[in-house]
Order: sequence, then C-alpha cells, then structure tokens
Amino acid sequence: MIRLEKVSKDFFIGGEKTRVIDGINLHVDKKEIFGLVGETGSGKSTILRMMNGFIEPDEGSIYLMGKLLNSDTRHELVKETSMIFQGFNLLGNLNVIENILLPTRLRKGNQRENIGKARELLSFVGLSEFEEAYIRTLSGGQKQRVAIARTLITNPRIIFCDEPTSALDEKMSYEILRLLKDINERFETTIVMVSHDIGVIKSVCSRVAVMEDGRISELISLTPKGIEPVSYKEAFLSG
Amino acid sequence: MVERYIETFNRFRSPLVQSLWETFDMMLASMAAALVIGLVLGFIMFMTGAGGIYKNRAVYFMTSGFVNITRSIPFILFIIVMIPVNRMILGTGFGVDASKIPLSLIGVSLFARFTEQDLLDVNKNIFETSYAMGASTLQYFTHFLLREARSSLVLSFTSTTVSLLSYSTVMGIIGGGGLGYLAISEGYYNFNYELMWIIIILMVLIVHGIQTAGNNIAKKLDKR
Repeated sequence: MIRLEKVSKDFFIGGEKTRVIDGINLHVDKKEIFGLVGETGSGKSTILRMMNGFIEPDEGSIYLMGKLLNSDTRHELVKETSMIFQGFNLLGNLNVIENILLPTRLRKGNQRENIGKARELLSFVGLSEFEEAYIRTLSGGQKQRVAIARTLITNPRIIFCDEPTSALDEKMSYEILRLLKDINERFETTIVMVSHDIGVIKSVCSRVAVMEDGRISELISLTPKGIEPVSYKEAFLSG
Repeated sequence: MVERYIETFNRFRSPLVQSLWETFDMMLASMAAALVIGLVLGFIMFMTGAGGIYKNRAVYFMTSGFVNITRSIPFILFIIVMIPVNRMILGTGFGVDASKIPLSLIGVSLFARFTEQDLLDVNKNIFETSYAMGASTLQYFTHFLLREARSSLVLSFTSTTVSLLSYSTVMGIIGGGGLGYLAISEGYYNFNYELMWIIIILMVLIVHGIQTAGNNIAKKLDKR
C-alpha cells in the first residue's frame, strides 16, 4: 500500500544543513495498522508528512497504492488518503456537520448524499446530537471524533494519524483508539500512526518501526494487546 | 445656546447635505477599491512573505514597499504629489472624482496590511489540513483562510473605513469638498464655531455607526 525506497530528507536547522531522514526503506501493507515511534526529533512526523506528499523527499522514492508520489501525482493521490492531527485542526467558524462535509465541498459530488453520509458518520462516532454545535463547545475527545468523521467522509484508503491521542486523557484516548480499530476492521482502511506513547502503539498496531536519528533502528511485529478503557480509579487500584 | 445651533443647522442644511453626499461619494469609491485591491494585495503579501507558501522576496518587497510608502507620506502631501497622476487618469487634478484616487490608494494600503496581519493570525496548521483534504491553492484561500479570518477581516475593514472618513476631511485641498472641508472653510475660517461643532458631532455619530455595525457583523461571523 505504501512503499518507501531509500528516502532521505535534509532540513536547514540553525542555518546548518541537517539530515533528518536518512535512507529509509519501508513498506506498509494493505489493511495494516502500522506504528511509527521514536523520541522527539527522531523524524517520525516528517516521515508521515512525506508519505502523504506534504513534504517532498530530497532523495529516494515513495509509492502510494502502487503509484509514484511526486509533484504531478501528489494532489490526486492525497485525495485517496486522509489525516488525523494531534491538534484536531477543525475550523472554528464551521459547525460540526460543516466540518465533516468540508472535504466533500472540495470535490464534485452529490451534496444531498454527502449530508446523509455525514449524519451516518456522526452516528458512528457517537455525536449525532452535536450536529449543529460549534467546535469551541466540544471537549477534546469530541473534537477528535469530529476530525475522525471528517476523515472518513471521503472513504480514504489510507489514514495517517499524527499523535491522535496525545492531547486527550487516558479514557478518551482509548475511545479514539477503539474507533480507529473499528474503522480499520469495518472499512479495511490502512492506518499509519505516529505516537510517542508506547501503550497506544502496542494496543492497536500489528507492526512498529522504531525511529532514531532519522533512521529505522528496529522493525518489530506485534500482537495487538487490545483496547481496554481504563478509569483513573481502575488504573491505580488494579495493581 | 441650543437655539443658535438649531438656527445654524437650519441655515446650513443644504450645504451640509451636499457635503455629506460628497463625503459618501469619496468614501464609497475608496472603500470598494480598498476591499477588492487591498484584499488581493494582502493575500499576495501573505503568500510571498516569510513563511508564505509562495515565498518570493522580490514580489513581497514591491508590494510591501508600496504599502509602506503610501502610508508613510503625510497624507496632505500625498494628495499634492498625486495631482499629476489624477490629471493623467482623469484629465483633471481637482474635484471630487480626483479626490477618490489618493483616498483609494491609502485605503488599499491600509486594508492590504491589515489583511496580511489577519491572515498571519490564522492557525498555521490550516494549510497542511487543507492539503491533506485535497484542496487546491484557490480552495485553501476560499474554504479555509477566508473562513477562519472573516471576523478579523470585517473588523479590519471597519477600521479602514473609519480611517478613510478621517482622511476624507482634508480632500478640500484639491476641491474634494466633503464634511471636513465645510467644517474648516465655513466653520473655522469664518468663525462659525457652531457649524464646526455640528459637523464634528455628525462625524462622531457616523464613526460610531460604522464601528457598531462592524463590531456586530464580526461578532455574528465569529464562531471560534
């Protein structure tokens, strides 16, 4: 589904050319939930943004769904993907359903059908009663669920997640992870997830790449341990 | 004392209406220019400036330079400097129509700089969000930037309008007329202070009306 061949990237940091991604080879299979972990500055978010074409590699090639990602193809290929951000990145001047419908407004299509689908997705993420609410009135978990519904409205084949739970508390994080797992199983969507939280990666990912200084230091296969909602009380009293 | 003011108002009713119309005439033309050209210039500066998606030093230097120069020349001198330009465009350097040119230029510059600042205040991640959704550059402007900056832009346009009203008061120097000219020529120079104060109060009411309308529209549009 995603293939990276000898991908490298340099950034100018403090006026000095610094290699942030160094000759990475990687593939992500169809329907897989793939994790990218590493310390801050290890290059995991840069890799994610290179996978959806937002950042262009200086060396190497990236293939999405079998097609080479370059300046000519990236705008078409990115429409087959979607992204979930750490800070949700919802538009504050739009209400919940308008936010979900936004990607469809950028494409041709039947708006009446899209509204119906947006309502179905709102029900899927458990926010049906918030259709007309504005973003400022929602909690962090609700905002991320709106962002997930927005992600799904275009039927993406790949979802990129950049620290999707790091702005949320533990219980809300597990709700979001359960939702992502559901999406993966129900819609057979490939998911690539960046996180610094080992627990998050272990709970849903089948494989994980550990990044260090712009390189993959380990590629590990996992057996997802499952998603258990934990309250603060349970967490501290369970021993 | 109140009678004197009423009597002055009645005596000058016709020139007051005429001057009010001249002010609105100058204002409407320059507001339209500021809104359209200023918005486009503001977008160009935002796109080509530091951190912009089409960073281009030469274009930014030219647009920003125009905006800075226009705003930095004392307006009364700017009006005089513009007389040959008015002549070139309209065939005359004087009159209400000629006044619209310097007034429009200052309006364009003010609103362009405001627009650039308003767009810079929008969440920086919004460009990446629009890209990830498959938006074109034009869709990024219309569906994302304009939507998120709309209430700030309304407030900026309100401030530009109030400034233009203030600038319009000196257009009498090239025969632009308007309320300001009437207050100075008939009021101050003729020791008719009642007329001067009537016009000052009228201007205060107009500014108050513009600002209140702008605030209300911005408040209605801001859902953040």
